[in-house]
Amino acid sequence: MSAGDFAYTLSFYFFGVVAVIAALAAVSSDRILRAAVGLAVTLVCGAAFYILLNYDFIAAIQILVYVGGIVVLIVYAIMLTSSSELVESHPGSFRKALAILAAILFLVFSVTALIKTNFSAESSAPPPDEIARALGRMILDTGSSGYVLPFEIISLLLLAAVIGAMVIARAYRLQSTGSEKGKRGA
Amino acid sequence: MSWYPGFLHWLVLSTILFSIGIYGVLSRKSALGVLIAIELMLNSTAINFIVFNRFISPAALDGALMVIFIIAVAAAEAVVAMAIFVAIFRSRKTVDVSQFDTMKG
Repeated sequence: MSAGDFAYTLSFYFFGVVAVIAALAAVSSDRILRAAVGLAVTLVCGAAFYILLNYDFIAAIQILVYVGGIVVLIVYAIMLTSSSELVESHPGSFRKALAILAAILFLVFSVTALIKTNFSAESSAPPPDEIARALGRMILDTGSSGYVLPFEIISLLLLAAVIGAMVIARAYRLQSTGSEKGKRGA
Repeated sequence: MSWYPGFLHWLVLSTILFSIGIYGVLSRKSALGVLIAIELMLNSTAINFIVFNRFISPAALDGALMVIFIIAVAAAEAVVAMAIFVAIFRSRKTVDVSQFDTMKG
């Protein structure tokens, strides 16, 4: 085993173990803010996996959008709903047992299926030299293998989500001050 | 079975992360905990896409592109979920999912 292979193997197990431990913390921590930190650590490990598999550009997006955007958004949600002071009420042991059972059943079935399936590589052609450039060309390609329509749909979805979030978060405020407004009008 | 991480090692790792997410979705009481578990599951799905891309057809980049779409959808989902939680918290003073029964028939 060469030095590069050894480093690859070592990083895989190191980041894998860290990701699993952080994920367990994210789903079982009593304090919801600690769960958010666990999620952030898992996502950073995910970016490390992408780098190990040679997708640096995706790893950068993962850090920028997932860790820098979504986790921060979740932390904001925790602050705004003041859940950080609340300690998660423990789920009933029956519910917990059922959840563990479902998770373990899924794990066992999936791993069995994965081991039994014989995956064969479609091609052994090397990946493109500049992945970010190739991705950009694919996104804006209007041909049959291009993704310009999904790209436009996803931008529309993001716009709709932003406007929808503003409307949802606003409507309740208007409703709660509705009586006050009525008084002022009278 | 060698220790060198091949195709199966990566897939088993992402499956483990996905099962942890399943456990979180089913056992959490706080809606934000459920959201965090869903993000875990989305992330493990994205890892799966990348692994299949790398080991099945490394010349194509469709799996990597799907990861970009997954991240965008996850961002949209987190934004809407946060708005809903804040709105529900304003009117009900709780984000406990077992208390959300407004739409119960």
